[in-house]
Amino acid sequence: MAKSSFSKKSRTEAGQGYLFMAPVLIILGIFVIAPILCAIYLSFHKVELLGGYNLEFRGLDNFMKITFDDRAHIALKNTVIYVVIVVPLQTLLALVLAASLNAGMKGEKFFRIVYFLPTLTSSAVLTLIFMWMYNQNGLINHILDTLHLPTYNWIGDPSVALLAIMIMNIWATAPFFMVIYLAALQDIPDSHYEAAELDGATGLQKFWHITVPNLRPVTSFVVIMGLIGTFQLFDQSYIFSGGSGGPNNSTLTVVLLIYQYAFKSLGTMGYATALAFLLAIIILVATLLQRKFSKEESLY
Amino acid sequence: MKLKKVVSAAGLTALLAASLLTGCSQPDESDNSSKTVITLSGWGGNPVEKKLLEEVLDDFEKSHPNIDVRFNQISDQYMDVLKTRLIGGTAADVFYLDAFEAPGLIETGAIEPLDKYVTRDFDVDDFEKPMLDAFKDKGKTYGFPKDYSTLALFYNKKMFREAGIDGPPKTWEELEQDAKKLTKGKKVYGYGVMPQIERLYYMAQSQGGQVITNDRATFAEDRVARALQPILDMHLKDKTAAQASEVGSGSGGEMFGQGRAAMVMEGNWNIPFMEDTFPKIDYGTAELPTVNGKKGTMSFTVGYAMNAESKHKKASWELIKYLTGKEGMKTWTSKGFALPTRKSVAAELGYDKDPLRGPLVKGAKYATVWQDGPMLPIVMNNFNNQFLSAYLGERPLKEALKDAQRQANKEIKVAE
Repeated sequence: MAKSSFSKKSRTEAGQGYLFMAPVLIILGIFVIAPILCAIYLSFHKVELLGGYNLEFRGLDNFMKITFDDRAHIALKNTVIYVVIVVPLQTLLALVLAASLNAGMKGEKFFRIVYFLPTLTSSAVLTLIFMWMYNQNGLINHILDTLHLPTYNWIGDPSVALLAIMIMNIWATAPFFMVIYLAALQDIPDSHYEAAELDGATGLQKFWHITVPNLRPVTSFVVIMGLIGTFQLFDQSYIFSGGSGGPNNSTLTVVLLIYQYAFKSLGTMGYATALAFLLAIIILVATLLQRKFSKEESLY
Repeated sequence: MKLKKVVSAAGLTALLAASLLTGCSQPDESDNSSKTVITLSGWGGNPVEKKLLEEVLDDFEKSHPNIDVRFNQISDQYMDVLKTRLIGGTAADVFYLDAFEAPGLIETGAIEPLDKYVTRDFDVDDFEKPMLDAFKDKGKTYGFPKDYSTLALFYNKKMFREAGIDGPPKTWEELEQDAKKLTKGKKVYGYGVMPQIERLYYMAQSQGGQVITNDRATFAEDRVARALQPILDMHLKDKTAAQASEVGSGSGGEMFGQGRAAMVMEGNWNIPFMEDTFPKIDYGTAELPTVNGKKGTMSFTVGYAMNAESKHKKASWELIKYLTGKEGMKTWTSKGFALPTRKSVAAELGYDKDPLRGPLVKGAKYATVWQDGPMLPIVMNNFNNQFLSAYLGERPLKEALKDAQRQANKEIKVAE
């Protein structure tokens, strides 16, 4: 008897809990869960939206098409190259920036603000400014020229266009992760460093053997956020190429391709959702792999 | 106690939900008067063009007192916005439609065929036939061209004088020779080229090859490659041609205005642009040089089309009829921002005698209209991507075209 009343009580309590959560659950359901399910549903169909809504079941057809769509392969290749280069570099740069700001220099606060500025600027504006700097007669070529280095047609040459976006993005995203590192750095107890000093460790040794291991959970977070962010590269390459992914498909990313299929060409919405689904799986796998290789939980 | 809790929780939830929903109701835009309100969508254009359109719309409203036209400007990504609105059922009643995009949209059934509205006094035969045909599909007309432009050769007279050249080149061979004389290292190029299919379509087909046959890309053949090879030779061998981004310019017109190219092939839009931005440049226009002794140029046209789901089709037709009619078109094209597609209006405004616009008007007779069925956007994208790599000298043209064709046809298959 007592047992059943307990379970009844817990049931009402759970009911109350859900009732309180209902607003959030409803909103999440409508704006997050439902679109995801809808996208998965659409990815198995040929979707004709214009001139009368028309759905035609095609099974795995859309996914099969990805295997012979060259542009999808190019987009995937570009995106993977971009991720492999950008994530490590921006993580490293963020760590170095944070460490230098944590070293106790004069004017630390000033530099903290200056470093953080690129992150505060909208990416569209940043891209436009960078496009001026990347202009054939722009600032970057001017600097390269005065240093007697070769100049490039950054925007028009397929071999460097993606590189130009990488440089821009590393510069713009690293400060954001720098702030996260900075917060974590201030959490490392001084006693660790004192103990190391007593043992006669050099500055570099302290950095590699105390700072870096202590930052591991944060590094894990930074890398995962970086992975997700870089896999979803869109706005910069969209503005850079005027939406085409050119020159010669060199700045075509997966999300840009999805956009093109969903909104530019007619009747390929289903294929676009199949690509989006594939991208979600790729990001999921990459994140799981990253978690497997870094044993972050051990520190918490 | 318990009941109270449940009730209060329920009440709270309901309150929250209600407060969320209140934002969604919209005041109904009801017509109190008997006026029919129709909307017209288009891209902006420059301030003078906008004023001209307002003028035409005012004239229309004066002569049609029971119709109220609202102009809705879509400044960027026009087609994306238009398609999305058509899907959502919120598109304008009448909208601009580029001939290049027309077949794809016509195929979906989102555009109203206009044949049944046309009366004799509208005088369809007055339109330039190639421009009108661009909006036709299976014998039905889905739009009427509001204006057009062909491409003409813009040449810098001062540079020509300095190089000792009498006049603009008449043939492609002359253009190549002149470009050599006009080029000054990497500072000034003889010919500012746009290595893109929309500018070179007539040239690609000049030797009998077809870019598209039966909705499939068929441009990877010798006749197309041979026809386009001169462009690559000028850039790679002679080094007398370059595209705008190579000299740090944003467009062909800008490259020409900045004095970085002595010749460019541009349309009517370049004349007001030069007037506004580079008024000091002394330039002339001429018909494009002949390729293999044949005259050719591109023609770009935009028309007015009607939304098939419009609730005010009669009023919408009245608007299209006025805008593409003799009176409306005359006002619209009077300032020379666009060329009239009606022969009678063209004759009245006398653009064929205008020193700068004359060559553009002459081109209309033999121009290739930039429209080739619903698959052209896909073909264009793939062609341009690969053609660029050949243009940059990364690979032979034939190989690039083969790749582009294979890719385009795969993409067409994906779209089907």
